[in-house]
Amino acid sequence: MTPVDDDAPPASPAESLALIRQEQAAVADTVAINPLAYYLPWGVAWLIGYGLLFLRYGPGGRIFVPLPDWLPLVTLFALMVLAMTSTMVVSARRGRGVQGRSSWQGTAYGLAWFLAFAGVGSTTGRFVRYLPADEQGLLWACVSVGTVAVMYLAGSAIWLSRDMFVLGAWLTVINIAGVALGPGWHSLLISAGGGGGLIALGLTLAMRERRRRG
Amino acid sequence: MADLDPVIHAQARLRIMAALSGLPDGDRMTFPRLQQILDMTAGNLSVHLTKLEQAGYVDVAKSFRGRTPTTTAALSARGRVAFDDYTAAVRALLDPSKES
Repeated sequence: MTPVDDDAPPASPAESLALIRQEQAAVADTVAINPLAYYLPWGVAWLIGYGLLFLRYGPGGRIFVPLPDWLPLVTLFALMVLAMTSTMVVSARRGRGVQGRSSWQGTAYGLAWFLAFAGVGSTTGRFVRYLPADEQGLLWACVSVGTVAVMYLAGSAIWLSRDMFVLGAWLTVINIAGVALGPGWHSLLISAGGGGGLIALGLTLAMRERRRRG
Repeated sequence: MADLDPVIHAQARLRIMAALSGLPDGDRMTFPRLQQILDMTAGNLSVHLTKLEQAGYVDVAKSFRGRTPTTTAALSARGRVAFDDYTAAVRALLDPSKES
């Protein structure tokens, strides 16, 4: 075999294969998202935020821990802002120097989150005033969690991800159960099942990733 | 090793082909990012990309974002076939029992 120039051929078939694996993995890293940075901050926000809501606004108006009435929501929103920042940083870093289909998928999906919440938020905000106070909180929470669930289900169709589908379906189920059980219980379910579920998924994906790399 | 495609069977070009093969379908990689991942000089990368382009294995496109020129590269359909054939040939050399 005549080389077409001075670029030396790999020393052996094994070295060829090693080079192929090395470069494919390097590119896969560029294209993949970091599951811990993507799921963990949202899981923590829900676990703590909805957890505090449950402790302060328990089922039947019970107060398990006499926290200041503003504290749970302020904590939830502050943690969600941090989570959103983390998501935006992760998404911007992902696919640096990559153009084409996947960057369009990511951009459209990110915008879809904002548009979904703009529509759902304005509708809920218009009608929530006709409800008693404890049902108002429940309406905001169940509409938000339901929207998040739908976005993950849509994401599973875009990235052919079974994990995202399971997450979206699970959030839908606990959301429906929480609505049926009523205010207080919904917060507990979303804190433990939703926040816990997001954290569990982030950790599972990160461990799977590590095992794959050996 | 007589059957191995000489265009791909060279360290720099094999690494370029392997990197581009790792992109999802429909994606392209910018020249600077490719250079960074492969840790090659711009001149070296440029020379080998041109050779792969001449062989019809890589599709190189130049576009402008404002005034900044951007060069992107992706495997062509022919390049993907050639790369898959090369990978299969190398695997067969390592384990002849799996040769199809």
